[in-house]
Amino acid sequence: MTLFLKEKKGPLILIALILFQFLLISIQLPSGSERNYFEKAIFSIFSPIQHGFISFFNSIGDLWKNYIDLRRVRSQNQKMKEEIFFLRQENILLQNVLQKLKREKEIQNSLSELQENILVAETIGLDLSNFLKSTIINKGSMHGIKKDMVVLDEKGNLVGRVIGPISLKEAKVQLITDNESGVGVFSKSKSVSGLLNGDGNGMCFFNYVLATNQDLLEGEEVITSGKDGIFPSGIRVGKIVSIVKDGTLFKKIKVEPYFDVRHLNRVAVIIREPTEIF
Amino acid sequence: MRDYIKIALSIVIVIVLYTSLGKVFPPLIYLFNFFSLIVIYFAIQKEEIWGACLGAACGLIQDSLSVGVFGVSGLAKTITGYLAGYLSKKIDVLSAFRSFVFILILVSIEFILWALLYSFVFSEKISVGKGTIFLQPLSTALIGSVTFSMLRATKKSQS
Repeated sequence: MTLFLKEKKGPLILIALILFQFLLISIQLPSGSERNYFEKAIFSIFSPIQHGFISFFNSIGDLWKNYIDLRRVRSQNQKMKEEIFFLRQENILLQNVLQKLKREKEIQNSLSELQENILVAETIGLDLSNFLKSTIINKGSMHGIKKDMVVLDEKGNLVGRVIGPISLKEAKVQLITDNESGVGVFSKSKSVSGLLNGDGNGMCFFNYVLATNQDLLEGEEVITSGKDGIFPSGIRVGKIVSIVKDGTLFKKIKVEPYFDVRHLNRVAVIIREPTEIF
Repeated sequence: MRDYIKIALSIVIVIVLYTSLGKVFPPLIYLFNFFSLIVIYFAIQKEEIWGACLGAACGLIQDSLSVGVFGVSGLAKTITGYLAGYLSKKIDVLSAFRSFVFILILVSIEFILWALLYSFVFSEKISVGKGTIFLQPLSTALIGSVTFSMLRATKKSQS
């Protein structure tokens, strides 16, 4: 028996590893279930490497910039950039709030609340299997990041939502271009509603619009509807690039998202839980 | 002990490489499978058990830094690592050309396994990124064979 185990050590270890991973896969199916502790632990160990590298890279870049730039001008510029960044985010959110609230006092209360609810984060790594599916940001649970928090780009366009695993200083964000993502949306001018799913190749599909519907046109803007209970309504998502009738019950509507993963350096996380927004 | 340090260092380098590629030009992430190179390199140096264990570890790290089902890359890399260790004992893969062909075949097998598992789990086709992903075995084999030759040359000169 011992001799057999010694001789077949290699194949036995291979089988054990395969079974272990089959078990890991099977406990996650159907996909979308909670992340297991094993995955969270691995993420917590290895995502700080990306964080550290980006911080190191940024600090070297900053050192060089400080050396060649006039310090005061640079810091002023930085401050203004920060202000613009916040103002853009606020503007998008306020447009939505203003539509909903009518009384002046209520608007003023919301203004101060919104300022406190935006957290600026930096993307530190892209999905290693498909960069159009997820990204990792340099803010985690110690900054108040929680699952399902909404992420916007510098211009206030929708990027995605926080999913697990979330470590102390890092969190994973599912992009709207991921084929597993879903966002409740409607067209800006005609209010045709539907569900936006990513195609995994950088584009999205505006699904569940009946083939008989004549209201949608190419070039029309798509915004969040707020009906999914995660994304607040009124956030800019993208524009319709093609509408095809393929003989089925629904139209095939392709949407090009406004955010560009290639230029996704800084993002804004709305640090309010979906339940507080709705 | 030295081997474990080497492996840990290689994993850190690979994560840094992927982070840099993501910052420079994200589609480049599709082109290279650096984790597989670590698995194949150490599987050739050691044996199939090392290959399988390292394959599982590297695959799970890759899965944890990606979205999707945790374990898909792990499973594909475990089999690749085992194959790399087993086959390298039977055939000579030390010359640059042989190692190029060897890596090309192994990374292709891993890619097929991964694509099959992905399609099985998600019931849909993989995202091909305008076809760039199909170049992954070739570009990985190219960079792998050059790196392996350089590492061997360095080792030779040291000894």
